[in-house]
Amino acid sequence: MAFFSVLLIIIPVFTALVIYLYKHSAVKYLTFIAQLAMTILAVLYYREFSDQWASTLIVFGDWDLRIGISLINDEISMSFIFLTLFSFWMVLIYTFDTRQSNRTFLFFLMFLQGVFLGLLQTYDLFNMFVFLELTTILVTILIAFKKSGDSFRAAVYYILLNASGVLVFLIGVIIMYNVFGTINVGVIGEAIDSVGEATSVRFAYVLMMAGIAVKSALFPVFSWLPKAHGVAQSAISALLSGLIVKGGLYMFIRINQMFSGANLESGEFFFYVGAATAVVGVLFAVSQKDIKQILAYHTVSQIGIVMMGLSSPDFDTFYGGLLHIFNHALFKSLLFLGAGVIIKAYRTKYVSDMRGVFKTMPAVSIFMIVGMLSITGAPLFNGFISKTIIKYSIEDSTLKSWILFGVNIGTATSFIKMSQIFFGPRRMTLRLYAPFDRIALMGFAFACVILGNFYIPISDGFFGVELSYISVFNFDAFFDYFVALAIGFLIYYFIIKKDYRPIRMIREYKPSFQSANFVFIMFVVVMSVYFVLIP
Amino acid sequence: MDPLLTFIVILIGFYGLATSTNIIKSVFCVTIIESGVILLFLNMGNLDGGRIPVDIIPDTLIADPLPQALMITTIVIGSTVTSLSLMLCIKVFHHFGSVEWVDVLGMERGR
Repeated sequence: MAFFSVLLIIIPVFTALVIYLYKHSAVKYLTFIAQLAMTILAVLYYREFSDQWASTLIVFGDWDLRIGISLINDEISMSFIFLTLFSFWMVLIYTFDTRQSNRTFLFFLMFLQGVFLGLLQTYDLFNMFVFLELTTILVTILIAFKKSGDSFRAAVYYILLNASGVLVFLIGVIIMYNVFGTINVGVIGEAIDSVGEATSVRFAYVLMMAGIAVKSALFPVFSWLPKAHGVAQSAISALLSGLIVKGGLYMFIRINQMFSGANLESGEFFFYVGAATAVVGVLFAVSQKDIKQILAYHTVSQIGIVMMGLSSPDFDTFYGGLLHIFNHALFKSLLFLGAGVIIKAYRTKYVSDMRGVFKTMPAVSIFMIVGMLSITGAPLFNGFISKTIIKYSIEDSTLKSWILFGVNIGTATSFIKMSQIFFGPRRMTLRLYAPFDRIALMGFAFACVILGNFYIPISDGFFGVELSYISVFNFDAFFDYFVALAIGFLIYYFIIKKDYRPIRMIREYKPSFQSANFVFIMFVVVMSVYFVLIP
Repeated sequence: MDPLLTFIVILIGFYGLATSTNIIKSVFCVTIIESGVILLFLNMGNLDGGRIPVDIIPDTLIADPLPQALMITTIVIGSTVTSLSLMLCIKVFHHFGSVEWVDVLGMERGR
């Protein structure tokens, strides 16, 4: 059964090749067969190994663990695998009967799924680099797939920034190989106690984290994300924002686990990096007018919230961040797909030109409202759970609590701004009979509601974490939420709607490619000073 | 070769990324960084005076085969990145009429 993890990588890649080679229109049903097979395999695999993760290790060709290529799974990677399968199911259904679902598109989509599943399961640092670089290449092609000037520009910006970031990660891997003589994550993790204080190990940590920061769009180096996710096709944007950007965060978890023996005390530093990401993302998001740019900047800010949780050495806080990854994947995919339906019907990307969506498309509007309630952290929806875990765990620090509250107000402001699209009279739009995208929206919306209400059995069954201290029907929870909404409404009505000059300046601020790279180099320098020179 | 030299090559690449105003020059800067990284790793495999790792004689210096195996993969991936970004440069030139970052990023909407 242990070889099922290999099949999870091979099946999508092989399906992609078959789809590309056979020029028959029926071949696109093959994706669903492959997807079904992978889901069944993943479930069987989970049932077999759910209490003995150590036996999932496979080393190819019976080489020594230190030099061989190996795969391993645990509950974190399995939960990411289920999230990947679910997201790809929904995106494949969403694009099923549209014109964009041609063979080339499906080829890259299925290939990306295989590569991403490989990234989740790999057990050595060099394969992490290979899979990261392959995701970069495939995502670039998918961004450029719209074949407009905007998308080519975003794609070239994306690939150059990310390729240099991933190469910095590779330098870190090389230093680790020089110190330990192996690139296996587990072997290094056991050996790191003895040499944890060495300067070269600290420098390797800095370089790896810098590369991961570029891939997961942390504070100073996030400028590629709104460009790339804002111009791609909606289905692609949903996949990138919901799932692929989480690859970087998954790497963050893995590398931090590997370095856990070295006592680097990175928690505080990455908490403030996450806080800065969240605040800056929200500031940019409230000033935007393009619906996809708003959502893309909110991805940045939600990644900041995730980092505020993930960076903590305390397990409860960490679990809040981990849960927020899944919640964000569900509601952000939902919002992007819904925005795609609305953009297609209204033929505009600007929030101010969309009015009367509720009367024109009631079903889509309800799903969008579910997504908006989730992202603003309303009780009964999934965003509430993970935000509350993070909120409880940073309660003793006033500054940290205020940062989180400020980010919540900003999120509420920009989604009050976005909810204006629902009001207004019915608009005659292009009548598109597209039942499949409604199914995909419904899938994500149901997942949001289910995770928001049945979080106790789900997290107990999957991670063995007791969450009963979080109660949804709590006066304080509703009170906090409505205070944030009220302040958000006031800010929207008196500041954002007037479109003052500072807001315009934030909206029109476009960092150049050179400055993005300069900031990246400065980020590496600051991290080196913090982690290498000061201790 | 001194590892310090390869670090200098990598830093030259980053200096170029932070200063060059042309997309094609930026592509070459990424290639330069990658060459530096490959040289850095190959350096660690005892290339100077090390025997090839077949037909092992005891008590002799042997070149480490793993860096070479890994760097071949890196070269392949790097060539893919370079060719893909150069292809995108051509497309960007068709749409914007320029490959200067200022012209390309400064335009409000692409055609």
